[in-house]
Amino acid sequence: MSGHARRVAASLAVAALGLGALAGVGLPAFYESFLYLIFSWIALATSWAILSGYAGYFSFGHGAFFGAGMYTTATLAAVFGVPFLWTLLAAGAVAAALAAGVGAVIFRVKRLRGELFGLLTLAITFVLATIVLNTPIDGGPGVYLSGVPMPRLLASPTGTLYLLGLVLAVATVAAAHTIAHSRLGRGLYAIHDDEDVAEVEGVPTLRYKLVAFTVSAGIAGVAGGIHAMYVSYVTVGETFAITVPLYVVLMSVLGGARHWLGPAVGAVVIASSLYAFTGGQHAVLGRAVVALALILVILFLPEGVVPTVLRHWRSRARRSETAVAVRDPAAAVSAPSLVPADPLVCHDVWKAFGGIQALRGVSLSVAPGEILGLVGPNGSGKTTLINVISGHYAADRGRVALGSTSLTGRPAHEIAGRGMSRTYQIPRPFGHFTARENVALAATFGAARCSPGEARQEAQGWLEFTGLGSRATAFPHELNLHERKFLELARALAARPRVILLDEVLSGLNPSEITSAIGLIRAIHARGVAILFVEHLIRAVLELSDRVIVLNEGEVIASGSPQEVMRSDQVIEVYLGKPHVVA
Amino acid sequence: MSLLEARRLAIAYGGAPAVWDASLELGEGELVAVIGPNGAGKSTLVNTIAGLQRARSGELRFSGVDLTAVPAHRVCHHGIALVPEGRRLFARMSVEENLEIGCYRSEARRARGQTLERVYHLFPILRERRRQLAGSLSGGQQQMVAIGRALMARPRLLLLDEPSLGLAPTVVDQMFGIIRTIHAEGVAILLVEQNVARALELASRAYVLEEGHVVAEGASAVLRQDSRIQEAYLGLRGA
Amino acid sequence: MGGLGGARSPPSWLVPSATLLGQSVVSGLLAGGLYGLLALGLSLSWGLLRLVNLTHFALALLGAYLTYQLGHVLHVSPWLAAAAIVPAFFVLGVGLHAVFAYFRVAEFASLLVTFGLAVILESVIQWFWTADYRRYETAYSTASLRLGPLFVPTLELLACLTAAALAFATWAWLRWSYVGKALRASAEDPAIAAAFGVNHRAQAFLLSGVSAAYAGIAGVYIALIATLAPSQIWAWLGVVFAVVIIGGLANPIGALLAGFLIGVSESLTMALVTPAWAPLVSFSILIVILVLRPGRV
Repeated sequence: MSGHARRVAASLAVAALGLGALAGVGLPAFYESFLYLIFSWIALATSWAILSGYAGYFSFGHGAFFGAGMYTTATLAAVFGVPFLWTLLAAGAVAAALAAGVGAVIFRVKRLRGELFGLLTLAITFVLATIVLNTPIDGGPGVYLSGVPMPRLLASPTGTLYLLGLVLAVATVAAAHTIAHSRLGRGLYAIHDDEDVAEVEGVPTLRYKLVAFTVSAGIAGVAGGIHAMYVSYVTVGETFAITVPLYVVLMSVLGGARHWLGPAVGAVVIASSLYAFTGGQHAVLGRAVVALALILVILFLPEGVVPTVLRHWRSRARRSETAVAVRDPAAAVSAPSLVPADPLVCHDVWKAFGGIQALRGVSLSVAPGEILGLVGPNGSGKTTLINVISGHYAADRGRVALGSTSLTGRPAHEIAGRGMSRTYQIPRPFGHFTARENVALAATFGAARCSPGEARQEAQGWLEFTGLGSRATAFPHELNLHERKFLELARALAARPRVILLDEVLSGLNPSEITSAIGLIRAIHARGVAILFVEHLIRAVLELSDRVIVLNEGEVIASGSPQEVMRSDQVIEVYLGKPHVVA
Repeated sequence: MSLLEARRLAIAYGGAPAVWDASLELGEGELVAVIGPNGAGKSTLVNTIAGLQRARSGELRFSGVDLTAVPAHRVCHHGIALVPEGRRLFARMSVEENLEIGCYRSEARRARGQTLERVYHLFPILRERRRQLAGSLSGGQQQMVAIGRALMARPRLLLLDEPSLGLAPTVVDQMFGIIRTIHAEGVAILLVEQNVARALELASRAYVLEEGHVVAEGASAVLRQDSRIQEAYLGLRGA
Repeated sequence: MGGLGGARSPPSWLVPSATLLGQSVVSGLLAGGLYGLLALGLSLSWGLLRLVNLTHFALALLGAYLTYQLGHVLHVSPWLAAAAIVPAFFVLGVGLHAVFAYFRVAEFASLLVTFGLAVILESVIQWFWTADYRRYETAYSTASLRLGPLFVPTLELLACLTAAALAFATWAWLRWSYVGKALRASAEDPAIAAAFGVNHRAQAFLLSGVSAAYAGIAGVYIALIATLAPSQIWAWLGVVFAVVIIGGLANPIGALLAGFLIGVSESLTMALVTPAWAPLVSFSILIVILVLRPGRV
């Protein structure tokens, strides 16, 4: 955490303690009530952002978890006489279990992202509402909690609720902060920018999404439980209304959904202004204003208030950035973990898409420390092969193995963990991460498994290695194509792979950039990493490769030393057509 | 005056310069080829002429009209039709519907019946499969639909982007025979091809594009002997 | 609901009568027709324009309230009201799209923006008409045909028939007219369609207008058949999206059939089990379809 953020966190802690002290002193009930509501919204918005803001899976179902919590507490306390505070635990647990169940199904299906996820979660809310309404849980008349004894934490009931709300809000913001700065948080942010690439870089995407969803829902459940006591009369209509999903989205989007403090800021601003309108027609107007604000924010301030403000501060701070201690990559590379001993083997790999057979029984091997060039005309299956080896696709038939470890059918993040790295032909960096953060992510999740502190130094080292040391704090959209390609390389290297798959890394570069890229690949090779190198630029393939394999229409048609392969009749025919062979 | 004139075109693709300083011209009824290795920028160039992309700088004139000022959906009204790389058919529409989209612009639509007959005459198998979904056809048949679709627009200039891509050699023979027939009817053709031999057989002139700019141009007969092409494709010096 | 009376009688699902089953199927079909009607416009705009339009529901409800207002207060017949509402909504749809086009709103952001617009519309409705339930009583509200032992409410039948007619008309339009073909081509590959002269921008405006007009028509029927309340917008949301996705985007006949499927399964569930589980039906079918069916939605 930078010094600045440390100061912010400290002042927040002081504010929280101060607010806690106020509770002890005792405020007029109106203020306690008002502040309780603010705390509740802070908890709701911040918890929502843990999945939806960080990972980008916009959920419209936060109301379902809030409602589940409310009804759990209402039922347990009013019907079964369970002490109120215990019901809160149950409320959180029920909501979390609901999320885990829903997530386990939905997150597995690749297509259910974006707007489909949003719609499904919205539908879940209404389904839950209907079930609650039609079963004995509510049955129609609602549940009264007026008979439930309030725990005597403080002098007055509102005081107790105020304290509970404060504790929840502080705990939630603390949790959000912890997650944001943890490996889980890095992984979630990466999922937000490009989930498939995150998976290939080693982030266990399914697990992380589930964890985030469950934590988010659990907190909403507890908030619901407390709120049940606050309203003391729980009905389906009020509980599962569109209010909660709408407001949490707006608060987070306004404040900045990606930042741990953003939703809290948004919650304070929105909730304060909302409660200026009370009841009746004003409530209706209030909702309309909130919706209008949501539209305006999406159109004009998509990042949110907090990140925009921070960016101003950061651009001023960047000029005075102190140099980061660099770990010499040469030293790192000679460490035992990077010395590869296992060959990469593909045996009889088949892959089809729709009706097209992209790969037909491709077999190849890359010996430790070897550079294997993979060439072939357009559509011959080169990129598909890389996608299969790295785990982006599963092969229909055949095996892929690294030494004795089978990689066939494993999720991409496990394959990355076993020492496989790849670059993309059109670079796919994480847009919201700086260059250094991009590389650090690979260091954290790849075979290297660095701690966050080490990862930063490691990343700087690899950036220096690829000549991007001075661009460490730049964002990808500020880099030109050449720099983005080298960023891909640095990112691939930071995972300390045993094998790197390069997919047309030279395409789009001008001649001098190509020369420096070739030099870089040589340097990588000198460190002992095996390279599978797809390229159209034949002269580069000839210069660099130990061996060359030619692919045509999904089949290997030639394999051997570069000179003999490129002179073979069959290969010349494939590239130039028959007459040249005769000439 | 040439039919198509491009001068010092610079085009970006995905944030990077794909073509810089490309100049070419094509006369009425000429068949000119653009050859070069992958990634040279050939498709980017052709897509820009067809209006799918905008050039960053340079001149592009068709029959005297400045194409850089024409919006994408109006380019075909001037008489340019594209057979894109990879066919890019409307897979969920039938063969005949694909062809009909070709003559969407009103002048071509008036002659629809006549042009459709001509296309079916050229590609008899399409008449048989007119109601079949375009996505279910074989590669060669799809290429025929793509060419037919462009012909339906009754163009003065036909842009052919890698028509032999992914096709079996016998089908390629067929394809090139058809291209010759079309050319014989007076349509100017700009042919982009990876298959150098075929392209130079067919075209009277050719431009060699490498890494975004024209490295050689001239009559096909001359270029065929040129060692620079061998270099460009195979990286071999003095092979 | 249910039961044959008496503490020891077997549960209703063990002894369903043919009449009960038959009536459920009929009710289900009729309800499904209305779902299909609502789903039509949504399916078109999502499938052909790549915009997820939550405002569709709010527009439908607005149309319903306007019909109610014109009929209840100004004594204008619903059919005359429809004649005014449909073109007005077409214009409204075009206007809404102008805003989208101006701000270049992308697919996901459109979900959020239309969500906001839907809430604003709900608030506007509540402002003018309050949250009280409203019922538009007409001469034919209770009229129904008899098909043997079965009752077929006339208005719902009319809605169902209109839905079918519109679905077929839309399908025919998309299939045979030049504009329809251009729309389909543009939805698959807008760049290549443009290369052949298809003006995607102009089409998008047309489509938004048509979609909104359909919402208006659905609204007229909603006013005639259902009880109105501002929160109704959200009640239909889950079901109609399920219908759209199950029927396939931009597939008018699919939307109609999916509507029938969902309507009948919900209705049967209500009759044979308990009403509580009915919404679960549409939701479960939706998940199953999404998980099992390959390709884009």
